Amino acid sequence: MTAVITASNLSKWYGNVLGLNDVSLEIEEGITGLLGPNGAGKSTFMKLITGQMKPNIGRVTVRGRKVWNNPEVFQGIGFCPEQDVFYEDVTGWEFLLGLLRFYGYALSEVRERAARALDVVDLTADKDRLIRGYSRGMRQRIKFAQAIAHDPGILILDEPLSGLDPLGKRKLIKLIKDFKRQGRTVLVSSHVLPEIEALTSRVVLVHQGKILAQGDIPYIRELIEAHPHQISVRSSDPRALAARFVGDRSIQKMTFAADGQTLVVETHKRDEFFGRLTGVVLEAGIEVEEISSPDDNLQAVFEYLVGK
Amino acid sequence: MTAANAVRQVFGFFFFLGRRTGKTRVFAILGLMPVALAVIVRIVLHGRSGPMAAVFTEILMVFFLQFYIVILALFYGTSVTAEEVENRTLCYLVTRPLPKPAIVLGKVAACALLMFGMVAVSLTLSYFIMNATRLSEPDLYLTFLRYLGVLGLGILAYTAFFTFLGAVLKRAIIVGLVFGFGWENVIQYFPGSTQKFSIVHYLKSLLPYRPMSGGGRGVALLLFRLEPTRPLTAVLMLTVITAAFLALACWIFRMKEYLYEE
Repeated sequence: MTAVITASNLSKWYGNVLGLNDVSLEIEEGITGLLGPNGAGKSTFMKLITGQMKPNIGRVTVRGRKVWNNPEVFQGIGFCPEQDVFYEDVTGWEFLLGLLRFYGYALSEVRERAARALDVVDLTADKDRLIRGYSRGMRQRIKFAQAIAHDPGILILDEPLSGLDPLGKRKLIKLIKDFKRQGRTVLVSSHVLPEIEALTSRVVLVHQGKILAQGDIPYIRELIEAHPHQISVRSSDPRALAARFVGDRSIQKMTFAADGQTLVVETHKRDEFFGRLTGVVLEAGIEVEEISSPDDNLQAVFEYLVGK
Repeated sequence: MTAANAVRQVFGFFFFLGRRTGKTRVFAILGLMPVALAVIVRIVLHGRSGPMAAVFTEILMVFFLQFYIVILALFYGTSVTAEEVENRTLCYLVTRPLPKPAIVLGKVAACALLMFGMVAVSLTLSYFIMNATRLSEPDLYLTFLRYLGVLGLGILAYTAFFTFLGAVLKRAIIVGLVFGFGWENVIQYFPGSTQKFSIVHYLKSLLPYRPMSGGGRGVALLLFRLEPTRPLTAVLMLTVITAAFLALACWIFRMKEYLYEE
């Protein structure tokens, strides 16, 4: 399959801060998820491939054409920014009309496309309200509408699901998948693994300006599974609990927290541990107040991978 | 899409947008100040007309020339690019098939027309209220058109300069204030050719020179130490200033990378 977006040895820094470090990546048709914690370099990458910034080193092309200062390339790109920013004093309808005029369409076509995009994101009923008065979810949807209104072949979405309620998320995920089915290319960023997982199996892990890993979801999951999980169990008798687990092979390390009530367990086999924990607690009659997994998040996985 | 069409589309969007902003409302209200002054002067001058009304008209021109169009151009001109960066809306423009110079030119055109509209309404009302007793004199209308033309040229020249500042500097408004109300005010009182390094010099050179009835010089406030440039040269200079700074602003906007402050 040929690459739609190609980044070669891309580096970008802001003064002394490194935004992106020698990134080479080929994005093909279909949905690609860009996954990484906040500040990983996802938005920097997206700004570079949408010509909002120019790389300090390296080159970006979209369908073989350079992006920086090449307006023609944007006829086929739709971009949904991460920031919740708008021309606030216009209605949703006027916002779309204004932006669609920039593609050189006749007014009748502009109206037709704007109406269609509003319909897709379920904002037709609210089209005449000022954007200033839109809810967070509506603002997110109108932002998505402006990205798809001109029917682009490439859609670049920076954290499009943030701020949406579960129903809104589900609708948007369906829309993005419909895009894929039409043979288009979608690049979507998120710092939440399940969001990306719901969209695609093709993932690029970004951390500290570098590509840490890329592959399909099972591979990423495998990496996550390999990561030793920390589980905190706050109970009436943490030492008795620890004594029961000493011989357990699923446990790598056990410590007691400063409060004297919490046992912190490190394990590679989280599910196995939870399975045993229930039995042990019932058996010994230990009262468990709280179970939490402080590092059960993407940041911890990244830290683990970087450390590895 | 042709470059001209791109400019037209950007102009259309921002002219529409500009009419709704709070900034436009504030400056439109500011434009009512000379109208209020004209009404007061008319009441005071009740029954008298002629030279006194003309003198007050020239005083009004000081407001328009040295304050109103400067402050308008400063706020609208510097905002052409800076506002997009500060509000982070630049991504909606630069990810469209629009040449970057078309974004600048379209926005400048929209701002200039908005400003001209505000100035024209304010000048028309104040001028004709002030000179209500001379409405039958054809000269009155010619002078009005000349004033309007001078203010139009002033808006273009100042807006081009401030757009350039906005494209180059992060805090362009401060530098703009120093230029508009410092440099431009002070340098015009210098004798010789130094005053030619200001925009206001060329604007004043285009104003009708009207000796006072006693044979003295014109209104000191406005023409103090003015050593006028010939009208044709003044128009040419203002055109060159406008074109040069617009071209520079377009070039900088095309080449510069605007980063949002985190």
